[in-house]
Amino acid sequence: MANAVAPPPNPSGPGQPGQPGHVGGAGSGGAGWGDDGPVVVQTWEKRAVSLDEVVSALPELRREAAGREAATRTAVLTIVMVIGPKDDPVACAESVRSLGAHHPCRAVVLRPDPDSTPVIDATATLWRASATAEGGHPIFFEELHLHVGGQAASHLSSIVGPFILADLPVAMWFPGELPDPTDPLLRLASVLMVDTRLVGPELTEIGHSYRTLLELANHQPVVDLSWVRLQPWRDLLAGLFEPEHSRYFLQGVSRASVKGKPGPRHMLGGWLMAQLDLRARELVLTDSKHVDITLEASYNGEEGKFQVSRDEGARAVWAKASLSGGMAHGQAMPLPDDSLTSALSAAIANLRADRVWERALAAAAALAS
Amino acid sequence: MTDGTLPANVLAEGMETVRRAPPGVLVVFGASGDLTHRKLMPALEHLSRRRLLPAAFSIVGVARTEMSDDGFKGLMAEAVPNAGPGWAEIIKNSAYISGDYSHPNTFKQLKSRLKSIDEALGTGGNRTFYLATVPDVFAEVAAALGKVGLNHPEPGGSSRLVIEKPFGRDRESARDLDTSLHEVFAEDQIFRIDHYLGKETVQNVLALRFANAIFEPLWSRNYIDHVQVTVAETVGVEKRGSFYEKAGALRDIVQNHVMQVLSLTLMEPPGSIDANGIRDEKVKALRSVVVPGVNEVANIAVRAQYDSGWVEGNAVPGYRQEEGVSRESQTETYLALKLTVDNWRWAGVPIYIRTGKRLPKRVTEVALQFKAVPHLAFPKAAATGLNPNALVMRIQPDEGVTLRFGAKVPGQAFMVRDVLMDFSYGAAFLEEPPDAYERLLLDAMVGDPTLFIRRDEVDTAWGIVQPLLDAWANDGAPLAGYAAGSWGPRQADTLIERDGRQWRTP
Repeated sequence: MANAVAPPPNPSGPGQPGQPGHVGGAGSGGAGWGDDGPVVVQTWEKRAVSLDEVVSALPELRREAAGREAATRTAVLTIVMVIGPKDDPVACAESVRSLGAHHPCRAVVLRPDPDSTPVIDATATLWRASATAEGGHPIFFEELHLHVGGQAASHLSSIVGPFILADLPVAMWFPGELPDPTDPLLRLASVLMVDTRLVGPELTEIGHSYRTLLELANHQPVVDLSWVRLQPWRDLLAGLFEPEHSRYFLQGVSRASVKGKPGPRHMLGGWLMAQLDLRARELVLTDSKHVDITLEASYNGEEGKFQVSRDEGARAVWAKASLSGGMAHGQAMPLPDDSLTSALSAAIANLRADRVWERALAAAAALAS
Repeated sequence: MTDGTLPANVLAEGMETVRRAPPGVLVVFGASGDLTHRKLMPALEHLSRRRLLPAAFSIVGVARTEMSDDGFKGLMAEAVPNAGPGWAEIIKNSAYISGDYSHPNTFKQLKSRLKSIDEALGTGGNRTFYLATVPDVFAEVAAALGKVGLNHPEPGGSSRLVIEKPFGRDRESARDLDTSLHEVFAEDQIFRIDHYLGKETVQNVLALRFANAIFEPLWSRNYIDHVQVTVAETVGVEKRGSFYEKAGALRDIVQNHVMQVLSLTLMEPPGSIDANGIRDEKVKALRSVVVPGVNEVANIAVRAQYDSGWVEGNAVPGYRQEEGVSRESQTETYLALKLTVDNWRWAGVPIYIRTGKRLPKRVTEVALQFKAVPHLAFPKAAATGLNPNALVMRIQPDEGVTLRFGAKVPGQAFMVRDVLMDFSYGAAFLEEPPDAYERLLLDAMVGDPTLFIRRDEVDTAWGIVQPLLDAWANDGAPLAGYAAGSWGPRQADTLIERDGRQWRTP
């Protein structure tokens, strides 16, 4: 069986084609979850299903669970994840599951497989996560995996509709390859989530990816998980210019240096070019394991250096401004959790078009050309 | 840039929705005290961890305790054991001044220190003076700040004074305090904290009411039978016996927390959710509350003291057996109160308030009890489990909203009974909400007074409870007893039952 993604609760896999769906009870638990992670309340799985069967199975999960606990539904969004052939399905599914525990949702994980038998296999799981609030109720979320074989794999928009929760935003996540901007599936999304950290390393690949993203961003909001992860660096750098005296140096930046991996350094370089109106020759991009930004600037004969960096091995990001007149200020932040789940969680907290990112992307695309 | 206009921070574009403190110095009076150690420092560290404090930032502690800068830095570090790296940076820039609040030199030193911090860090003359001291010295510190000119903002800077309740012991002392503060600081420089307003769920009362069209049309005498406000604690006075003896439930909870929650519940929709929009409406709502006459107090209020009993499986002593409490104490640990409101929206809708220590459950909630349907179409027997609708705003713990309504019991017969539609904030948004002190400290440094109490709010709230203080001072109402672990004295039940109503069981 072309199995559903991420070993769901029943490790033996879905039942046989044509057989009734199998419903499993609580307690089986997902692989890799500790005591505090979400636990399985109920599962259902079946091969070669009709969509009607899957639609009926979802409320059935809660009804079956009702004998043991009131699995009420509070949801804030639907997440649709489209897993490509190069993606790690287990890691992706675990991320989306962790996300469900922070943002009550219905997660629909699609695994298109045009070369396999033209059937749909489904696994639906109802999870329970502990709320952290004092005395809070547990939250319940659904995870639906659909392995779509045959030609239907190219028509995912015809499959997802029945599983989208009414009146709530739909975040569509493409963990690997960027989607084709003409794919009708995208019309169902309120926001697309992508990750520019994964672009490159060749400049031509970077430029191509950025141009595709610009086209996608023309149609709907795009949230870039890499941009979300870079927020502390951007934030700390901007913070160095909050004091009035420092602020004037922003108009006298003569050199900007950005170190980092290809995706992050190009995006940050594009950001600085776009926001500070820098010319490409004033920007130096260097390959490095960790992100480091340095701006050199002058104002009224005074020199200033503004730097945000992370020391090798340290779990913190440091920001420091030193002015030749003697004034200095600095700040530090703990290194943010850079897990996929954390970036996803931050991304869906703000499902809007980000014009600053779009300008940075356009400048980065030009840099990569 | 040469024309003197401060250029925009173009690198901060897109981050405007995040509220951050501007460069500045937080001066904490009472820096060696418990509030600073237990609440303020952890709240500041959390703000720094979230990058809500500026890079150019310093904390200056002031207290009578003899201590060096390094000693204070050590206290700051000790207050937050697992602090992030940002805290170390803040500690590095911090300073301490020891001195008596009555001594002018203390404040001269402070002024000179603030000047040198501005020059070294670029804190821009922004100063927030937080008085984490006993209330008795509020006026003295404010006056001393005025004498050295620290009440006047530097050009382009700000100067704010933050004080925390209690604001006086009664209406007269509150007015005296207010007069003293206003001799030095203008009202828009004074930030009065009631930490209840910093609670996310108290602010959610505003969101529930004014971000939704479905509730507001029902939010009036046309549909609401009465309102119940409950602030219940399971704890006793713990080690605060001597403090509580001078306070009691009325001063400790009702005059401030309850009045704030009540004003948010009763207020008219504001024109805008800004400081004056909200506070104007809150004051109008409080002014509509009918101030009882002193000789009416015995009919509308029940005060009581807990006796020994059992709470959460533990045997607990009575109030008069607590440490620091007089054996003849007349201080109330419980208060039930009925108020009425004279305005178009609430005329004829009684407000029942109940607060107490050593009650069975820790809960704060506001319940709107709706009127019964005008005509019940079902046989009475089919609706035995049906009560009028209720909308309950749960403020703590398990913050959320519950709507009680009737539903058909599945089966051949047509039976209806109550069901609850239960929304829990914790289940819908698992982001950790900021602690009340985090929120209020940040607001004070940003200069947003929305969640702080204005002088007229304080005065009006004292006006409502003053007759109770006067009546009790003259033994105008007896002090009842209740068993610890119960929901209060029998007299409190009578207070509401004689109106044909009952207390909810939260």
